[in-house]
Amino acid sequence: MTQSIRVRLLVWVIGGMAVLQIGFATVVYEVMERSLRDGFNAVLASSARTLSSAIEQDGQRIKVDIDEREFPEFRRARHPDYFQVWSESGEMLARSSSLKGADLQTAESLREGTFFRRLRLPDGRGGRAAVLRFVPKADDESSRIGTPARVTLVVARDTAALDSEMALLTWILSLGTIGTIAVSLVLAAVIVRQGLRPLDVVAADIAAIRQDDLSARVSAARLPSELRPVVQRLNDLLRRLEEAFGRERSFTADAAHELRTPLAGLRSTLEVALARPREGGEYRDALAECLAIVQQAQALTDQLLAVARMEGRQTLIAPEVVAVREVVDQAWRPHAETIRNRRLTLAIDVPPSAACVADRGLLLLALSALATNAAEYTDAGGRVEVTAVVANASVTVTFSNTGCRLRPENAAQVFKRFWRGDASRGQTGVHCGLGLTLAQQSVEAIGGSASASIDNGIFNVCFILPAAPPNRVVS
Amino acid sequence: MRVLVVEDYAPIRKAVAKSLREAGFAVDETGDGEEGLWYATSNDYDVVVLDLMLPGVDGLAILQRLRAEGLVTHVLILTARDTVQDRVRGLDLGADDYLVKPFAMEELLARVRALARRAYCAKNPVIAVSDLRIDTTTKQVWRGNDEVTLTAREYAVLEYLALRAGEVVTRTDIWEHVYEFTADADSNVVDVYIGYLRKKLESADLPPLIHTIRGSGYSLRGPS
Repeated sequence: MTQSIRVRLLVWVIGGMAVLQIGFATVVYEVMERSLRDGFNAVLASSARTLSSAIEQDGQRIKVDIDEREFPEFRRARHPDYFQVWSESGEMLARSSSLKGADLQTAESLREGTFFRRLRLPDGRGGRAAVLRFVPKADDESSRIGTPARVTLVVARDTAALDSEMALLTWILSLGTIGTIAVSLVLAAVIVRQGLRPLDVVAADIAAIRQDDLSARVSAARLPSELRPVVQRLNDLLRRLEEAFGRERSFTADAAHELRTPLAGLRSTLEVALARPREGGEYRDALAECLAIVQQAQALTDQLLAVARMEGRQTLIAPEVVAVREVVDQAWRPHAETIRNRRLTLAIDVPPSAACVADRGLLLLALSALATNAAEYTDAGGRVEVTAVVANASVTVTFSNTGCRLRPENAAQVFKRFWRGDASRGQTGVHCGLGLTLAQQSVEAIGGSASASIDNGIFNVCFILPAAPPNRVVS
Repeated sequence: MRVLVVEDYAPIRKAVAKSLREAGFAVDETGDGEEGLWYATSNDYDVVVLDLMLPGVDGLAILQRLRAEGLVTHVLILTARDTVQDRVRGLDLGADDYLVKPFAMEELLARVRALARRAYCAKNPVIAVSDLRIDTTTKQVWRGNDEVTLTAREYAVLEYLALRAGEVVTRTDIWEHVYEFTADADSNVVDVYIGYLRKKLESADLPPLIHTIRGSGYSLRGPS
């Protein structure tokens, strides 16, 4: 079956119309045929009754006294009517002169009354006959001897006129049906085309949407109500696609922008080294510089890749019950020297019973980002606090550090990709504004949420994680 | 010519400074915005190469402060921001040129040279004073038809005098435009280099070009 709505509608509409038309024509034909036949039968019956009045029983003898002169229809030169009378014993009692000695076919019915049948006339034409089976009246009922004798009177007439009328009716109905179907086809095509025009409008609107500009939307204002939900879903899809492409473009632009700085450093260092012949030591210095830049760029691309995978939901997550204290300690371990050198006070208040359901690796990634951030940006001699509170089926882990120079309104931006409190790219590859982004994405990937606030120089980051069920807490 | 490089990404800063020094410029460098602002407002630089995203004070703020204080030092913005809006904003705030990272060092040098020439209203890279010709691109010097070989410092002093040909240039001016901020030298060294230049450029059969203006400084000019 074709998938075209237009063709399917046409097939169904035209098919339906054809069935209706044929049914209607059939009914009309039947009604008309019955009406004409009944009229024909009525004439035959009337003629038979008239003739029957001329048949009498006289004693045991049946007397047929039909004067054809009074019935011109039996004497017509063309297409005369016919009659024939038989006694109950089958003896032919009388027949019309129009039979010219031939016999009409009779019926072997035993019941009295009038009935009708088709028959072949002596001249070979088709005809119709009224068969009247009756007991003739007697001149004197008292003179009737024995059981009343029945006679059979058949009056026949050719059906040429009736057949001709029926043929004409058949032609009229057939042509009418075909014509109506043809007109229906044209009308249905126009109606279907008009009915489907909104689809063409939507198709044109969709075709006008360029791949490089997904901000266009399909207008639902003048569409029929049946199409509006489809268009609304399509517009929703376009909006989501636009957002996704926007994120991708933004990510690509950000990544390219971030990689420009180390690339520029690499190119500059190499160009200067190659600008003139130099001592071996100068080349070694240049190569060492290039290696350091490449390592920074690699760190940057690793983080970019991690963010891309996280955003593309390509990171495998294996949830398990994790003791928060254990991961917090693990996150701080690499920063012991920094804490010592910068004379930071680290206060960890995480009860050993605090446990969450999380992917251990992602939780460590998130908490490590916070620890790195706090170790680097807390003012020298400042204080870092880490707390965890279990309540309402969740564990709230908070990192707070003093010495924050950001403004309170910056708190909303700290999780944005490549956002830095300072626009400097001097620490490219070391601090590239992806650490907190990765932390937030990791926490969200394990079913938690992250928020940040800045209050009187104190920077707070809060993770809300799903708590482990009480019976599964590791004590 | 003296150039200030303000760039926080150390590899770029070091490479640019080294390249400029090797091209004969006196270069001061810093990776901090506040320090860069202090350098730029405290010294008379011919060109400032300025990154935009800097710690402390960003590059555009430095540019605004320079222009607000009436300093006309030529500024070349060096940045990874490459949108038309970024360029327009930088130029509208008073930058003289804009170069996007990564860049070709040769192009940076050419742009710095062009800005340095523009500082002295010289468009032709070849400066001619009487029969003295100086090609500021190749750093070659001719007196008449004879090429004169100069050291980088001698060339720097001569180029500065040539760019201000006919003017009286003080020793301090020469010192400030030829020596870096951290150079361990005093203005007497200028006299020493003037002496070297005279030996190489002048002779008995050639008219003097470098004239001493007693109590003021020197002036490079042909015979009147």
